[in-house]
Amino acid sequence: MNAIDTSIDSAIRAAASAIVLENVSKSYDGTTQVIPPLDAELRAGEFTVVLGPSGCGKSTLMQMIAGLERVSGGTISFGARKVQDLEPKERGCAMVFQNYALYPHMSVFENIAYSLKVAGMPKPERVERVEAVAKMLGLSDLLARKPGQLSGGQRQRVAIGRAIVREPGVLLFDEPLSNLDAQLRHDMRMELAELHRRIGATTVFVTHDQVEAMTLADRILILNKGRIEQFDTPKAIYHKPASVFVAKFIGAPPMNIVPVTGDGKVLRLADGQVLVECPVFGDYQLGIRPEDILVGEGPIKAGLRYREDLGSHAILAADLGGNLLRIATPFGADIGTEANLSLTFPPLRLHLFDAETGRAIPGAFSAQ
Amino acid sequence: MSSPTQALFANRWLPVLLVTPLALLIVIFFYVPIFQAFYWSFFLERPFGGGSIFVGWANFARVLSDPQFWEAGKRTVIFMVIGSSLAVLVPLILAVAADRQLRLSQPARNVLVWPKGVAGASIGVIFAFIFNPFVGILSPLNQWFPGIWAPGIDGTDAFIMLIAAHVWSGIPFNFVILLAGLQSLPRTMHQAAAMDGAGAWRRIFDVQLPLIMPQVFLTLVLEFTESVTSAFALVDTMTKGGPGGSTNLLVYKIYVDGFNGYDLSGAATQTAILMVFVVLLTGAQFAFLGRRINYER
Repeated sequence: MNAIDTSIDSAIRAAASAIVLENVSKSYDGTTQVIPPLDAELRAGEFTVVLGPSGCGKSTLMQMIAGLERVSGGTISFGARKVQDLEPKERGCAMVFQNYALYPHMSVFENIAYSLKVAGMPKPERVERVEAVAKMLGLSDLLARKPGQLSGGQRQRVAIGRAIVREPGVLLFDEPLSNLDAQLRHDMRMELAELHRRIGATTVFVTHDQVEAMTLADRILILNKGRIEQFDTPKAIYHKPASVFVAKFIGAPPMNIVPVTGDGKVLRLADGQVLVECPVFGDYQLGIRPEDILVGEGPIKAGLRYREDLGSHAILAADLGGNLLRIATPFGADIGTEANLSLTFPPLRLHLFDAETGRAIPGAFSAQ
Repeated sequence: MSSPTQALFANRWLPVLLVTPLALLIVIFFYVPIFQAFYWSFFLERPFGGGSIFVGWANFARVLSDPQFWEAGKRTVIFMVIGSSLAVLVPLILAVAADRQLRLSQPARNVLVWPKGVAGASIGVIFAFIFNPFVGILSPLNQWFPGIWAPGIDGTDAFIMLIAAHVWSGIPFNFVILLAGLQSLPRTMHQAAAMDGAGAWRRIFDVQLPLIMPQVFLTLVLEFTESVTSAFALVDTMTKGGPGGSTNLLVYKIYVDGFNGYDLSGAATQTAILMVFVVLLTGAQFAFLGRRINYER
């Protein structure tokens, strides 16, 4: 209906700047650190998704980048400028809030124009800019309305318009899609990707939704308890998770993790069943994605407990020596009706993690 | 007319029963006296009892042609406008400060509510002492500029004193209402305005004040109506309408005319006029202001 108009060449285009976090930490009481010292470089013009469970510190991190929270230590740079001590308005970044935070007493036009008005831009220019943004976001017919008269998707667009009208070098999104229904969320994802391509601002997008992260991000920064678990492309995050946390967080259903013991030749479960050859000693965690498990002929025996047919594929829940194992099979695959499954774990699809730290042990299977 | 609230009561008489005590109080102590005042305003009452005569509009003609009535009316309006505005403005400033989490705002929040527990007459007595030209806080002024502060002689000084006491007594309630309004604004609203480049002062005028207009309106309406009547306790304890009638507000004049002058019909007539004035005023406020200040959040 009123999708982002891609026909006009963008009048709104930002000069993107890289965001460099050095030793950035946050503590509210001086003793417990919400965010322990953290380093990251978000490249200029890149779309970075900060992903993590609730309470992992991702919103705090974003608020520190925005200037709404002070850093307890470390520096934040936008390009060559150190900004950690600057007020939000001096940083040249804009933000889209989870609940949109539109001004209910102002019209759509006034909402979008407010930052320009505060900055003292003359009215004719202001009108021109707002109209360009409104046209781009399909809001041209709604400029006179109040936010209360708009649908959720339209409010979302106004919030985005308000953020981009100043042509910020850094654009921040705080879970902006979580208040939308599934269909709208899908549409907005596409529009956001399109928007980012045209505006080119360095974008930081906070979410707990792995689908948003996988589809939107150039690179995903996964946070757990304030620490960076992994900061890489969606592809690398999916195929080479750096830790058990990342492996379990990404993918639906998530990667299976089973505790194993190595005797120098093979990895065994606690009940003695041999899973795969691997020349390591000691306790490990073995990971395999549900879709990588081959069902049918195979040395590994597991008991089928439950089966869900989802149309495109089926999810089997099986018992592997006391561990829950989820298996994704093509729909209608003949797995027989018996409760005992025969499985194969292809070695190149396996992931080995340290039992204590949960960190990935690279090359454990490719070396053979 | 089957609203969902009706279904909450299983017994249809229970809601009636629950409302009865308050309804009785309102009827006995408000509607009956008001009705009586209107009724008496058309009669000439004998000062020491013994029957009354119907005189039609004669009482109104007499009151409305009395220059003292108009004087008192003018003072009432001045008191209402200045007193009410300040009684909303001062708590508003305090509430904005308390909402900002300035230093000491937490204890201030408690302290500012205390005057709510003080009766109007007590406030009058205390303020008469505070503003006493010999020992009060402004008495040093008289040492430097003799005679500059003399509420016992100077009508303007007396009026200022009255308004100060009124504003002080209005702080708690209005402060609580306005602070509640400010605190109901989502935090992200402030953050969004900050991201848009608005500093703390600018946010007050562009975001906070427009959004708490419903609360400001509520306090203003209540203040306007209350200032007309509640000033009685202050006038009675502080100035007795003096000096020279300069603080003789309508509500105090009614009392003096009726209970000291025994002009019962005149007092009833002035009560009726005051009542109509307050009703019209409130109606006008709702008509002109009330419509423009409600937003969908």
